[in-house]
Amino acid sequence: MIADEATLARLMVASQKGDKTAYNVLLAEAGLWLERYFRRRVPPHQLDDLVQDVLLAIHNKRSSYDAARPFLPWLSAIARYRWVDHLRKVYKHEADLLEDGDASVDSDEDVVEARVSLERLFVNLPESQAEVIELVKIEGHSIREAAQKTGQSESLVKVNIHRGLKKLSAIIEKAE
Amino acid sequence: MTMNTPSTRENLIASLTEGLEPVRQFKTRDGALWVAAAVAASGLGVFLIHGFWQGMFEGEAAPFFWVTNGLLLLLGLAAASAVIAMASPNVGNRHDAPRWAAAMVGVLPLAALISAFSGGDVSHSTEHVLGLHCVKSSLIAATLTGGALILWLRRGAPVSLNLAGWFTGLAAGGLGTAVFGLSCPLDTVMHLGVSHILPVAISAVIGRAIVPALVRW
Repeated sequence: MIADEATLARLMVASQKGDKTAYNVLLAEAGLWLERYFRRRVPPHQLDDLVQDVLLAIHNKRSSYDAARPFLPWLSAIARYRWVDHLRKVYKHEADLLEDGDASVDSDEDVVEARVSLERLFVNLPESQAEVIELVKIEGHSIREAAQKTGQSESLVKVNIHRGLKKLSAIIEKAE
Repeated sequence: MTMNTPSTRENLIASLTEGLEPVRQFKTRDGALWVAAAVAASGLGVFLIHGFWQGMFEGEAAPFFWVTNGLLLLLGLAAASAVIAMASPNVGNRHDAPRWAAAMVGVLPLAALISAFSGGDVSHSTEHVLGLHCVKSSLIAATLTGGALILWLRRGAPVSLNLAGWFTGLAAGGLGTAVFGLSCPLDTVMHLGVSHILPVAISAVIGRAIVPALVRW
């Protein structure tokens, strides 16, 4: 069970003041939360790398948390930012596909909410862009395979990935 | 891409915890103070170099002088507030105010154009309408505010980089031009609608071009 919003916010405020015990608990809880948050949107073998990347970002940018505001929207914004950055870097063909079973371990309501939160970014994209980003950047198919599956030309797949990622980065905070 | 084990994350958390130092908590008031200090320093520079226009204190300024500088000030404040808030990201932030403020300021060059084409204000020379001195000086006055906002963003964690670039340029341009405007005695619709709006547009484009690379993290 991951700590609730109020507890996480309290831990973060204590961490900003230098409380190491609170910080240790916060990072462990944030790690679990992020693991669930990214589970459907990152191949399993990349999941821990991304979670650690965000934990480092939390550490480096911890002063940017405003104690007057909720913690999870701050964490979500940072997680989305690092995730879009991660998608940009994934250009190679990845052999490991994301299986449905990898994503269905947890069924808590908060897990669903977290997943929906990330899915919200995708619903703002045209279908043609979301589809190819999902195939190439998340499931690891090649450009050619994505073109065959979607009926788009290879050039169009590249253009749609480029435009889709650009749009994703523009709506990180906006898409609720 | 390396495979990681749970212990790797535990090691990372242990290492980050060990190195934890207290940090100054994020306060929007701090950002506002940075901007206020930058604007005050710009104002002092304008006063020392150009001097403020005495006519505005003696009732000589046309109403359009106050309308233009007031709108530029509001645009600058709206954009600066958005940039200050952007340093602390949040899903749900919308930052719409600067767009509306920019749209309102966009009415000024339209007013100048309409005035010119309707024959209302055509007696001025090109130099009067397009005052390069005003454009250049406004941009110089914008640099301090722009620099302060860039430093503020670098200290924070902005996630909407392109928007942050546009808004930084609008804030710096709006506030810089409003400050410089206090020294400019040309208060016609044509001059203010062109020479005092152009620097804001140029500043916004410069902000969009350079700020994202400077604040990326």
